[in-house]
Amino acid sequence: MICAEQVSYSYSGGGQTVSDLSFRIEKGEFVAILGENGAGKTTTVKLIDGLLRPTSGRMLVNGLDTAKTRVSERAKQVGFLFQNPDRQICKNTVREEIAFGLRAVWGKQEEEKIRARTDELLALFSFRGDEEPFSLSRGQRQQVALASTLAVKPAVLILDEPTTGLDYRECTRIMEFIKTLNETEGTTVVMVCHDMEVVLDYARRALVMAGGRLLADGPVHEIFRDTALMEKASLLPPQIVQIAGRLGGDYAHADDAETLSGLIAAAAERRRA
Amino acid sequence: MNGLFQYVPGNSPLHRMNPVTKILLTLSVCIAAFLTDNLFVLLFLLVFDLMIGVAAGAARKAFSIFKGLFKVSLFLFVLQVLFIRRGNRLFWIVTDEGLLTAAAVVLRLLVVCLPLALILTVTQVSDIANAMVQVLHVPYAYAFTLTTAIRFIPQFMEEMGGIMESQTARGVEFDSKNVFKKLGMLFPLCAPLLISSVRRTGATATAAEVRGFNLRTRESGYKRYGFGLVDLAAVLISAALIVGAVLIP
Ligand SMILES: Nc1ncnc2c1ncn2[C@@H]1O[C@H](COP(=O)(O)OP(=O)(O)O)[C@@H](O)[C@H]1O
Ligand SMILES: [Mg+2]
Repeated sequence: MICAEQVSYSYSGGGQTVSDLSFRIEKGEFVAILGENGAGKTTTVKLIDGLLRPTSGRMLVNGLDTAKTRVSERAKQVGFLFQNPDRQICKNTVREEIAFGLRAVWGKQEEEKIRARTDELLALFSFRGDEEPFSLSRGQRQQVALASTLAVKPAVLILDEPTTGLDYRECTRIMEFIKTLNETEGTTVVMVCHDMEVVLDYARRALVMAGGRLLADGPVHEIFRDTALMEKASLLPPQIVQIAGRLGGDYAHADDAETLSGLIAAAAERRRA
Repeated sequence: MNGLFQYVPGNSPLHRMNPVTKILLTLSVCIAAFLTDNLFVLLFLLVFDLMIGVAAGAARKAFSIFKGLFKVSLFLFVLQVLFIRRGNRLFWIVTDEGLLTAAAVVLRLLVVCLPLALILTVTQVSDIANAMVQVLHVPYAYAFTLTTAIRFIPQFMEEMGGIMESQTARGVEFDSKNVFKKLGMLFPLCAPLLISSVRRTGATATAAEVRGFNLRTRESGYKRYGFGLVDLAAVLISAALIVGAVLIP
């Protein structure tokens, strides 16, 4: 689905921001990109979306070179949810906002289809169509942005710190939507996220970046378990993984549990076996 | 564009000059440019601008601004030449008066724009504001408005870039060749920009108020802005520029 071949990128007037990235992401995967601030995560996901074009190397999405694909063509394939929904929302009502993205991609001739799809999304997110986006709360605005991103049914969904600044409930609601989408529609999800608990709960695979390079690529649990790696990338694994590591023994082998009670139960299970 | 309004520290005479004198000099160049129709005077003013740039140790920047304006100037020039019908026809629809007027307009644009950009290169915006308050007795609120407006330009540009990126990601084609399509794209740009600006204004007002904005008066400034020999020289040059522009036909 996504294939990076020795991709490097430098912003004009600066050194290389990301260097020599190579990875493959298959259809239906849920991948998190981890790394400290300035590691090059945003640059990497923008490269995947084609917002940036590699200075060297190739980025293929669905077999197409992003450097050679048109904006509207690419928007059909890849949806991008930014951290700041206010840069996206430009219409007076939620309905118009969702329809706007559809029109940009499907064209104005498809008015019937657009209306049907908009209704579907309004129901899915339980929005009122005539509500003004700018009077909604931050979390709800992020949901409006998500709805209009999902409207075109992209095969790949990119999320750049989608939950920053949201409260726990809003965060969970958005992540549950994305999880459902990933499981039922097979949407490929690539997520940049600073909240390791969210990563542990939702992502299955993680790419770790530092200084513009790819440090590691593997299942989320193995990545979190690797203390040397986490230190090198200046990351702190989720509490549950830390606890399991500290306890050692049976616990250390049961650290794929998501809750403390789960951890204890799994360790007990192992001991019995 | 980002570096255009950026202050570059230095110790040239222009850096040391009183900000008010700098404003006076800038205005004099502008006034002189508008008073004269003589191409040679305009050309002289342009050279004067560039010399000031060199004296400020910002020759590179002066020339890059010059280069940046060149495209706009060329466009303006062609437009003027095509639309001015007066005077004797030289060839096709081009007249001698058209050529002269167009040249004057373009030169004037360059002459006026250069010092406006240069003054921000050699003066910190806060100094301009404080000097205006201290020397010219401008109320602080107005000076503050000016500084904030200038200070927000880079942020504004960044916000604009971010919005364009967000809209591009959802399939809006900013690189479209179609003019009508392009006009239609203005809206998804302007609405978010307006909203974010209004939000930022609110935040700035709160921040200013919290720091005692209302208590600030002319006496509040710590730095004093004196007048020296450079300032005297600049005032004389300013006068000479205007007198020259009026007297030379
Ligand atoms: N538009 C830009 N122009 C120049 N440099 C940039 C730009 N955007 C990001 N950078 C630089 O690239 C590096 C990586 O940035 P980014 O990809 O945003 O990191 P992350 O998302 O991991 O925090 C940073 O050092 C940043 O300063
Ligand atoms: Mg980032």
